[in-house]
Amino acid sequence: MVLNSLDKMIQLQKNTANIRNICVLAHVDHGNEEYLINLIDSPGHVDFSSEVSTAVRICDGCIIVVDAVEGVCPQTQAVLRQAWLENIRPVLVINKIDRLIVELKFTPQEAYSHLKNILEQINALTGTLFTSKVLEERAERETESQVNPNSEQGEQVYDWSTGLEDTDDSHLYFSPEQGNVVFTSAIDGWGFGIEHFARIYSQKIGIKKEVLMKTLWGDYYINMKAKKIMKGDQAKGKKPLFVQLILENIWSLYDAVLKKDKDKIDKIVTSLGLKIGAREARHSDPKVQINAICSQWLPISHAVLAMVCQKLPSPLDITAERVERLMCTGSQTFDSFPPETQALKAAFMKCGSEDTAPVIIFVSKMFAVDAKALPQNKPRPLTQEEIAQRRERARQRHAEKLAAAQGQAPLEPTQDGSAIETCPKGEEPRGDEQQVESMTPKPVLQEENNQESFIAFARVFSGVARRGKKIFVLGPKYSPLEFLRRVPLGFSAPPDGLPQVPHMAYCALENLYLLMGRELEYLEEVPPGNVLGIGGLQDFVLKSATLCSLPSCPPFIPLNFEATPIVRVAVEPKHPSEMPQLVKGMKLLNQADPCVQILIQETGEHVLVTAGEVHLQRCLDDLKERFAKIHISVSEPIIPFRETITKPPKVDMVNEEIGKQQKVAVIHQMKEDQSKIPEGIQVDSDGLITITTPNKLATLSVRAMPLPEEVTQILEENSDLIRSMEQLTSSLNEGENTHMIHQKTQEKIWEFKGKLEQHLTGRRWRNIVDQIWSFGPRKCGPNILVNKSEDFQNSVWTGPADKASKEASRYRDLGNSIVSGFQLATLSGPMCEEPLMGVCFVLEKWDLSKFEEQGASDLAKEGQEENETCSGGNENQELQDGCSEAFEKRTSQKGESPLTDCYGPFSGQLIATMKEACRYALQVKPQRLMAAMYTCDIMATGDVLGRVYAVLSKREGRVLQEEMKEGTDMFIIKAVLPVAESFGFADEIRKRTSGLASPQLVFSHWEIIPSDPFWVPTTEEEYLHFGEKADSENQARKYMNAVRKRKGLYVEEKIVEHAEKQRTLSKNK
Amino acid sequence: MSIFTPTNQIRLTNVAVVRMKRAGKRFEIACYKNKVVGWRSGVEKDLDEVLQTHSVFVNVSKGQVAKKEDLISAFGTDDQTEICKQILTKGEVQVSDKERHTQLEQMFRDIATIVADKCVNPETKRPYTVILIERAMKDIHYSVKTNKSTKQQALEVIKQLKEKMKIERAHMRLRFILPVNEGKKLKEKLKPLIKVCLIDPGCFREIDELIKKETKGKGSLEVLNLKDVEEGDEKFE
Repeated sequence: MVLNSLDKMIQLQKNTANIRNICVLAHVDHGNEEYLINLIDSPGHVDFSSEVSTAVRICDGCIIVVDAVEGVCPQTQAVLRQAWLENIRPVLVINKIDRLIVELKFTPQEAYSHLKNILEQINALTGTLFTSKVLEERAERETESQVNPNSEQGEQVYDWSTGLEDTDDSHLYFSPEQGNVVFTSAIDGWGFGIEHFARIYSQKIGIKKEVLMKTLWGDYYINMKAKKIMKGDQAKGKKPLFVQLILENIWSLYDAVLKKDKDKIDKIVTSLGLKIGAREARHSDPKVQINAICSQWLPISHAVLAMVCQKLPSPLDITAERVERLMCTGSQTFDSFPPETQALKAAFMKCGSEDTAPVIIFVSKMFAVDAKALPQNKPRPLTQEEIAQRRERARQRHAEKLAAAQGQAPLEPTQDGSAIETCPKGEEPRGDEQQVESMTPKPVLQEENNQESFIAFARVFSGVARRGKKIFVLGPKYSPLEFLRRVPLGFSAPPDGLPQVPHMAYCALENLYLLMGRELEYLEEVPPGNVLGIGGLQDFVLKSATLCSLPSCPPFIPLNFEATPIVRVAVEPKHPSEMPQLVKGMKLLNQADPCVQILIQETGEHVLVTAGEVHLQRCLDDLKERFAKIHISVSEPIIPFRETITKPPKVDMVNEEIGKQQKVAVIHQMKEDQSKIPEGIQVDSDGLITITTPNKLATLSVRAMPLPEEVTQILEENSDLIRSMEQLTSSLNEGENTHMIHQKTQEKIWEFKGKLEQHLTGRRWRNIVDQIWSFGPRKCGPNILVNKSEDFQNSVWTGPADKASKEASRYRDLGNSIVSGFQLATLSGPMCEEPLMGVCFVLEKWDLSKFEEQGASDLAKEGQEENETCSGGNENQELQDGCSEAFEKRTSQKGESPLTDCYGPFSGQLIATMKEACRYALQVKPQRLMAAMYTCDIMATGDVLGRVYAVLSKREGRVLQEEMKEGTDMFIIKAVLPVAESFGFADEIRKRTSGLASPQLVFSHWEIIPSDPFWVPTTEEEYLHFGEKADSENQARKYMNAVRKRKGLYVEEKIVEHAEKQRTLSKNK
Repeated sequence: MSIFTPTNQIRLTNVAVVRMKRAGKRFEIACYKNKVVGWRSGVEKDLDEVLQTHSVFVNVSKGQVAKKEDLISAFGTDDQTEICKQILTKGEVQVSDKERHTQLEQMFRDIATIVADKCVNPETKRPYTVILIERAMKDIHYSVKTNKSTKQQALEVIKQLKEKMKIERAHMRLRFILPVNEGKKLKEKLKPLIKVCLIDPGCFREIDELIKKETKGKGSLEVLNLKDVEEGDEKFE
């Protein structure tokens, strides 16, 4: 685009009816009218379908380009669906026709049937979308009909169902006779619609153009003698019109050029009345010749842009249906909006440029621009005066013309022909270039160097966007009702002291830009219907937003993203000191990319979630080169596990009942349960561990039991409640009764308790709920500590008994140490130091008698304050509780109490002992790992189902259900998949199904991995089946060892598997 | 014409010698490299994978086999396998390259895990990942000492890392419970006297002792949280 056409573009911008917002852009003369075409090119890869989403929203129509050889690809489907969802009108370009000729060597007849095929496929897709839509609407209407008999939905469905039979079909489907299909070869520079040839042949043969328009595509043939067009070509073995009149001509041209038949070429050229430059004519490369001839004969730009001008709607033609669709989020219906909001619909439809019209702008994405590229920071060839002059001139010219044409005729082209400067849209859309028109440079403002500056990519739907205009920025979650509730009706210009409304901001439009490819040009104002860039919004807009001069405007519905982010990686700076840059860079990236998610996990990892591997690569490059400007390393994210225990299995690994056959005693393969437990700890057959503190003063008996699954679930769900219970108890401890238990909370607690009681039934769990002492880890986790000793009275339900005897208070203080021990034990299990889940520890006995004896002598001495100093929970090993302090006092300030003997303070010993007891209690039970699971929703077509299943089963996934989507041939598969296996899953499934299946992963639950990580074959059958070393992979052990290795824990793995097979280092022989 | 003569020499390669002195005599056995530690930890259970030969030597490199009388006088038996097992478990070992390597690596990881567990980024109050800590440790050229405990070394590492990057021990959240009259006295020493405060875990003992001393055992400390870190995932919005 050259500069001198810019002025004209400014003029053109003012005439809304002659704007076409589609995807790609230039201004075009068509017939006697001039059009401004905003053309947004979007990348074709599935990973970037988010770019398509953002572009589609601000367009009125779109060109869908289909490869003539490859036909309909998955991405074509996706794009069609998006266009459909956004309610914009598509036109079709079938490109690369030349490949049919040159590469595939089709005859014209074959090419015709091939093209017909493609067209049918696309129409079938459209039809599917259409029918599924109708079915959905019908279902919706059925549910809603009672509630809302004359709602919008009803009308719509009425339209649709009539459309099924007659009128609407014609709009929906692509057909050359409709003029919404163009055949092109961009590389050779030609393209045509039926209309072009219809015009030519109506002169040549003398058949009416209208008739030709209808018959050039389809099963018609021409009877040259009778000059009549007849139906049913195939039956009579005749060539259809399309082949005879169009394709054969093109084929013969290609034939002539490729065979270098000079005479024939000349003949064709002269018969077409073209002038080919001597240079091109002599050129040895046939491609150049073809290009030269065809681009004159059938210029592609004419063909495509003519179609655009004719078939695609202008901003004025926006349908009421689309407006409502844009404004109504989710289940909200248009009628439910306040009248102020409903009034805006008229503004939308009118798309007026008067000053009174409300300004409505939609920002579909934010993109980062190097600050250097901003016009204010760029050297300019033209001074301001010059530009002002030019503008003045243009205005005069325009005014003259307007006067001449009575101010109503369309603009005459000022410079004819040469005005078309667009490059036709190539077959491989690349990057996202936007172009618009007009410019007025502005004085340089602030702006730091080397900074990324964010520009909002937006479109004016109504009103005129002016620089400096104050405007409301409405986030996607904003609700106009909320605002109207807070602000009295009929307020005038919004003052700064406006009440805070969530998701709303108020700011001025700082800079307006014209987007021309990579270039940005200043604009003073932008009339409605245009695409523009807005600077200075980065603080107000995250990814997308609606800007409006009235706060009653609802935010537009969120963008439809075909791809949801699923590929997760952990990102870290190469140099640890560069962490702040990384965080900053990631924030910028988050703003710049509509389809990226960034999380900081509890482990401190920065996780980047992207739509696919290609998208990921681009995000990382952006991060490295633009946003963070540091070296980063990318790794698989850390996968969490949980440890638990189960009931002893009834059958062994080969499904034989355990206990039936005797174990094969092999010396070096004994299960070493006993050897893990050091001496001095008694283990009874039931898994009860009895352990004594190092100073032999206290003895604890602990047993571990698996909790039923439902209980674990209840605990997980209620962790917040448990936490608030804990806070309550600790504040009660302090004697602060100010935090009175809220009635609701109390109810919830009882409900929670009831639920637990309901699920913990049976002999083993009798009364256990009342004896719950604590939850863990962190006092709110899914594990329970139960105290079964007789004098226990301190359960979580009752809180500490206020008037407890001294004895009890003493117990309580020591109890805190035991609880702390439990907390520590549940925080890191014995298998791989991961938290526990679903385990119940039962403290069967605690014998502190010896300790009591020792302490009894000074009990009398202890004052009342003992009660006051009781504490809620101490977790530290080094911490000495009130008791030992008392002893300290007894030994009169000497510093060391007798209990802080060589083993450290007594409370610390108790904590350590309790922790050990819990660990051993776990180890004598069958331990299991729990893996985090994703639920995975996969949409796939029937023909790739098999491959989807293969990928799932390879990654230990499990299919839960599979059903067909109504009205389509898509299947919806629901599966679960371990998080540990999900790395690269999305990519693999896409590759294997050539993009026809796209999974969505959401974390769902924890699941026990059935295999025992410590399992070795013990019975004869198992030996037969697995061999001595159990070489077949044990999933649980694999996971466990991976975690242990990562954490630097001891892994039971041989450094060298075979001693003999090491590299021989000795030199002599 | 050469005649095939069997040698009575068996040459051993890849030998790791385990020695033991008993009854004033030195006994050696010939083992495979990188296997002895595995045997001791119980991972390797096949004796033949560890021993090159079941015979007990006086000097492995010279191939001098121990005399029967010496064995009986030292071990009370002449069962070579039994004696080999004894020497394997109690004798002094040459640690082979791979064994040393894995040990160092393991300790290195362990230290990094401890550091990552105990520290946070003071700006975000979020922990660093183990991988990052490992890289930082490599950057400061930290070398692992096998004779020190990993916990001790982790504390050293934290000190050294502080100079390089923003890292800090995760603070403990404490609550002081003090009798009213003592509170004032302590105020100067523990200012500001806040009910709930954050401290560096390193000075916990000091504070604990101070409180006990000053209040004569009446006041107490309560640890509310061992690690004051941000919990849960955060999403950028």
